[in-house]
Amino acid sequence: MASVEEKIQVHLNDQLGGDAPQVQPIAKGKVFIQVEPSLLKGIVKGLIEKDELTGLIAITGVDLGDTIEVMHHLRTMETIFTIRTLVSKENPELETIIDLLPGANLHEKEVTDLMGVKFTGNLFDGHFLLSEAWPKDNFPLRKDAEIPSIDDLIKNPVVIDEPESIPGEEKYLNITIGPQHPALLEPERFQLHVEGEIVIGVTPRLGYVHRAVEKACESRTYMQDVYLVERICGICNACHVTTFCQSVENILGTEVPARGRYLRTIAAELNRIHSHMLLFGHAGLEIGFQTLFQYTWRDREAVMDLIEILTGNRVNMAYITLGGVRRDVTDTLKDRIRTDLAKLEQRMPFYKNLYENELSLRARLKGVGIISREDALKLCVVGPVARASGVKIDVRKDDPYAAYDEIPFNIVTYNDCDSLARLKIRVDEIYESIHIIDYALEHLPDGPIRVRVPRSVPAGEAVSRVEAPRGELFYYVKANGTQSPERVKVRTPTFANILSFVHMAKGINVADVPPAFVSLDPCFSCTDR
Amino acid sequence: MIMAIDLTLIYRVLVFPGFVFIFVLTMVCDWISRKIRAHMENRMGPMYTGYHGILQPWADFIKLLAKESTSPKATNKTIFKLMPLLSFTMIMVAMFFMPIDGSNVIPGSAFSGDLILVLMLVTIANFFLFLAGWSSNNPYSKLGGSRVLIQVLGYDIPFFLLALTPVFLAGGVDPTTKILVLSFTSIVQGQQSIWFVLLIPWSFILFIIAMQAELEKDPFDVPDAETEIVGGLETEYNGASLAFLKLGKDVQVVLGAFIIVDLFLGGPGLAGGITATAGILDFSAFLFTIGFVLKVVAVVVIIQYVASLWARARIDQVLKWNWKYMMPLSIGAMVLSLLVAFFWNGLIHF
Repeated sequence: MASVEEKIQVHLNDQLGGDAPQVQPIAKGKVFIQVEPSLLKGIVKGLIEKDELTGLIAITGVDLGDTIEVMHHLRTMETIFTIRTLVSKENPELETIIDLLPGANLHEKEVTDLMGVKFTGNLFDGHFLLSEAWPKDNFPLRKDAEIPSIDDLIKNPVVIDEPESIPGEEKYLNITIGPQHPALLEPERFQLHVEGEIVIGVTPRLGYVHRAVEKACESRTYMQDVYLVERICGICNACHVTTFCQSVENILGTEVPARGRYLRTIAAELNRIHSHMLLFGHAGLEIGFQTLFQYTWRDREAVMDLIEILTGNRVNMAYITLGGVRRDVTDTLKDRIRTDLAKLEQRMPFYKNLYENELSLRARLKGVGIISREDALKLCVVGPVARASGVKIDVRKDDPYAAYDEIPFNIVTYNDCDSLARLKIRVDEIYESIHIIDYALEHLPDGPIRVRVPRSVPAGEAVSRVEAPRGELFYYVKANGTQSPERVKVRTPTFANILSFVHMAKGINVADVPPAFVSLDPCFSCTDR
Repeated sequence: MIMAIDLTLIYRVLVFPGFVFIFVLTMVCDWISRKIRAHMENRMGPMYTGYHGILQPWADFIKLLAKESTSPKATNKTIFKLMPLLSFTMIMVAMFFMPIDGSNVIPGSAFSGDLILVLMLVTIANFFLFLAGWSSNNPYSKLGGSRVLIQVLGYDIPFFLLALTPVFLAGGVDPTTKILVLSFTSIVQGQQSIWFVLLIPWSFILFIIAMQAELEKDPFDVPDAETEIVGGLETEYNGASLAFLKLGKDVQVVLGAFIIVDLFLGGPGLAGGITATAGILDFSAFLFTIGFVLKVVAVVVIIQYVASLWARARIDQVLKWNWKYMMPLSIGAMVLSLLVAFFWNGLIHF
């Protein structure tokens, strides 16, 4: 079987002829090419024609001094394929690819806002992630950016205007959801343009919890960054740390011991169970089903307790670290985890039955917020959202990490494409997670749980991804030989999924907006970073 | 003699079974609702104020009264402030026509059409709620207010139709005009031998569903769906106005329970029936009240039990269910009840 590199090289040679650029490795099993900006769009188009599952993972900008390097990370041919282009710093311009992949929209806007690279065809006024008070033409992720002090920023306070209506459509009522709203647990603003009870459009405004984690990572050591990225999201913290550690270990060439990899898997799966259970409760609340909320959160409590006795903390685990994990698991603890999860498994048929047969739940969720398979591919959605639309992608299988290549499990997919399917898929995933943990505890190898890693990381770069509870989580880390990374790029699953909400909200009832939205399992502290 | 009658009347209006009694009963029913809801959801509910939190509704009400009351800039302040009070007043007026201790709050105020009057007052109270939401000049309030109107006006039709079914069974006929009497007194008196719930259970079940919609309880609590429209029509209210909006809602629940008890569960008294007169210290009146309160509490428990079993429906689903199922079913229930009434009255009364 041809390696990934050869496969992509053959494809590029077919498409571009003799002047095809040479494919080079970026990390284990991941490749990149360096091309002229003019070739970018053609290559993306060719890849989409070759592999229908091709989607954009992220766009990273790196300041190289005189030039800015823009990387399009594509999910294609079972690998991450990075296309590098260089643009000048004075006039950074690139052609947009949103006509090929509409899902690239927010990724491009983020690079425009933070890095100053303009994508022709996808220009916008104001800011995307930054506050409106932030000065124009100041791009914080550039190395030479002057960061204004907070005193300067609060001198000109931001006035959020009256809700703007769609030009020429003044008759529509604008309903603002957020930044503070009972349907949102975290601050973000969505403007619904409503005619009667029907939504005709949504204007999102992100960035209310932007904490500049990517920039902050550059000024901290790798070990400090482990704690920092863990705090990007409270719910899927294990996945953030795992991805970051994998990237750094990749640059270092560290092999994590087998026992450490298995324990990482267990922590990640406990994380997934509690995240999915949390969503069930949240979804119940959104559709006014308080009883469901209270029931699921009671059952979730057992998982939280397991996380606490395994890692020492209920929420931010501080468990996974560079080179392995921090704490070992004892036989008593193993039994406790097994019995508690067995109890949880006995509760699951109740929830499955509820989602399949309960009338008022079905009335609210069935057929609501449709994302067809074609749209899901175009919008580059990830995780349960993609799988509920029949797109069979799961990083645990496609690109195994930790111990997932040694543990048997199934990818659950549904073809209903609606909110109900997106919730049902999570019930089934909890089953799978319980079985994964059981298997991992059963086959837990002996040996050390971690290896020591040096403080300084040699120059290099790596991309890494894991399947977080909400979908594929992607990290790009560039090291420059010092104790701090040169660049850390985080692309969270909600950031990839949020555009699908704008898409599916069109034409649905106002009352359907919360259940449609919550079925994405949105996490805004992830989105904004 | 005239003096004494006046004192009795004042006592009846202000204390028992007037304002104080209704107020206390409302607070107790609110507490029971919250406890039922909490225990259905695996929670404790209020625990710290009084025995198992029985004083919590009082604490909430007093706290709201103590808060500063403001109104938004661009509103008609008179309408904004007045509507919660008017809505509350309508419900209280309706309360005064319910035979609580065997007779009405104001003895002798019952007349041959008071059933229609009470149902109409409830509708008017809801219309005032709509005006309260509309006058807030806030998109959430406006949507909430219009949802109240859409939902309640829609469900009023099956609600009225079903409220008529016990009238057929009671079969009270005005001696002079020879037409059916639409009064609570005649319905309650018709239930002396058997509660109507046993004769026409289908009407009772449909009436509970319609009542659930009228009281905006799950699955029909669309007008205050907090995840869609924040506080609904209450969004801009605070302080005393909010206290009265909330109190009005709670009293409405009790009134709904009163209506169900009178129409289907034999009215006041443990067995059924009604007294003609009532004094201040009448032992039979006391027994009647005990029976009535027990039945009302039972109905409140049913309403809250049903509410915690369901998710909230969508406004278009609520309306669709009304026109598609509730309307034909209630007309069918009416026809069926007419048949039952024919045999029942034909065999026993005539």
